[in-house]
Amino acid sequence: MSSPDPFDSALDLLRRLNPKHTANNVNALINLVPDLTEELLSSVDQPLQVQRCKKTGRDYLLCDYNRDGDSYRSPWSNEFDPPLTDGTLPSEKVRKMEVAANDAFDIYRELYYEGGVSSVYFWNLDDGFAAVSPSNKSTGSWDSIHVFEATDRARTAHYKLTSTVILNMINGDESLGEMDLSGNMTRQIEQTLPVDDDSSHIANIGKLVEDMELKMRNLLQEVYFGKAKDVVGDLRSINSLTEAQRDRSVHQEMITSMGKR
Amino acid sequence: MPDAETIETTSNFILDAPPGELQDVITDIKALVGDDKDVLDAIPPAVERYNKEQLLCTKLPGGSQQVIVSEYNELPDGRYFDVGSQNSFEFDHVKQKASNVQSYVLESLNADLIKSILREVEPHVKEHYPSLPAFSVNPCSDDSSIALVIVGNKYSPSNYWNGRWRSTYVFNPADNSLTGNIQVDVHYYEDGNVRLLTNKPVQVSLSSGSAAEIVKTIAGIEKKYQEDLNRAFGALSEGAFKSLRRQLPITRQKIDWDKIGSYRLGQDIGGGRGAQR
Repeated sequence: MSSPDPFDSALDLLRRLNPKHTANNVNALINLVPDLTEELLSSVDQPLQVQRCKKTGRDYLLCDYNRDGDSYRSPWSNEFDPPLTDGTLPSEKVRKMEVAANDAFDIYRELYYEGGVSSVYFWNLDDGFAAVSPSNKSTGSWDSIHVFEATDRARTAHYKLTSTVILNMINGDESLGEMDLSGNMTRQIEQTLPVDDDSSHIANIGKLVEDMELKMRNLLQEVYFGKAKDVVGDLRSINSLTEAQRDRSVHQEMITSMGKR
Repeated sequence: MPDAETIETTSNFILDAPPGELQDVITDIKALVGDDKDVLDAIPPAVERYNKEQLLCTKLPGGSQQVIVSEYNELPDGRYFDVGSQNSFEFDHVKQKASNVQSYVLESLNADLIKSILREVEPHVKEHYPSLPAFSVNPCSDDSSIALVIVGNKYSPSNYWNGRWRSTYVFNPADNSLTGNIQVDVHYYEDGNVRLLTNKPVQVSLSSGSAAEIVKTIAGIEKKYQEDLNRAFGALSEGAFKSLRRQLPITRQKIDWDKIGSYRLGQDIGGGRGAQR
């Protein structure tokens, strides 16, 4: 029997352990198996940290895609903090797209989140990372993370989008006690869309992200407030099971007798 | 040579395992640490603690009823007992299997009350715990109090979800107080990882402290809690969730991405709050 790949085992573990502890668990796994550091940091989505751009005063999100060593590049000023003399900057053409994408997603963020922070980072002309993180509210937090790849073809581009939403919610008072409903879900889509020029990419990615987030919002609603609640009902029944059974029998008899008419 | 931190990490992973997924977590840990003996040695004590905290349910060989493993029914020699079936048994914590069943006779100053509570609580569990239920009533705190635990488990790994309901109550006959907590743990993990964890503390004073009163009180507390919890799902869905992300912009229209360059923050879309925060 071949032993399972350690990276797969680490991901399986992260899929099972309390999602609230993902950041701590990733660090613990890295200490346990240092060889997995790069793979884990680049593939496990965690709630994003916010930093203020010293030059523009605007907030931006920290992730693996704008990190160089211990410095992070602001999407608003294109400068690293702490400053780097030899930090890797996008080419002029890529930076132009990145600026336009940040402006577009800033509007997207305001329209859908009415607050929070958004950042978009491009590392190749057609590969990028977009993230939206509304300012954490006392009752919960939502982090959207989108990674996209685009492959140019004649007059079209093929897009691959991987989206993760990290949604944490808490509720509680004297009567309810503590209630914590937290986690993350990931979905992928691929789609080919028409391209006229560079600005088409931003519109295409925008549409893909907007559709994906709507789909994921519905999915999250179903899982968090539908499925989780149903499972609680499967564990314990408010009504007595004898009564529930009797109701079902009566219902069944009615259907049977109606069928006989 | 693993340090204390590595051992603590391993223990934390195990204590964090969702209902019904302990074996998967152990398999993952073993794949990650290989044959590091010191780490592997840290697994059994953590698993024992996990099983007791989770009120792990198991069937006795040849039996059909589920019995519970908890701190309340452990014997000094490490075996466990079940007052209802009058058995004691050995338990392999890592494999989660019972063996070597022997007959067991309860010795307690509160033996009569314990047996009455067992009789009273059985119909309550039958009527309200549809899936893999188990309950036990045991002496605790040096025989000065009585612990009643009720568990419901539902495992559906083929549909990527599992859940557990745990009720733990301690009745003190000296002052007729009933304390404890109700904990619900639900895990959903299809293309994601979503966890519901709740904890509702219970503390009430009873008047007569009879078995009937204890069970009636518990039934009332559990019913009200479950109704509160259902309402809390609705409140989160209608409140916090909606305020985190809108379903559509305030204009009720999706964004016209081909014209995104002509949108102006703070003018066309109102507010403009987020721009400078």
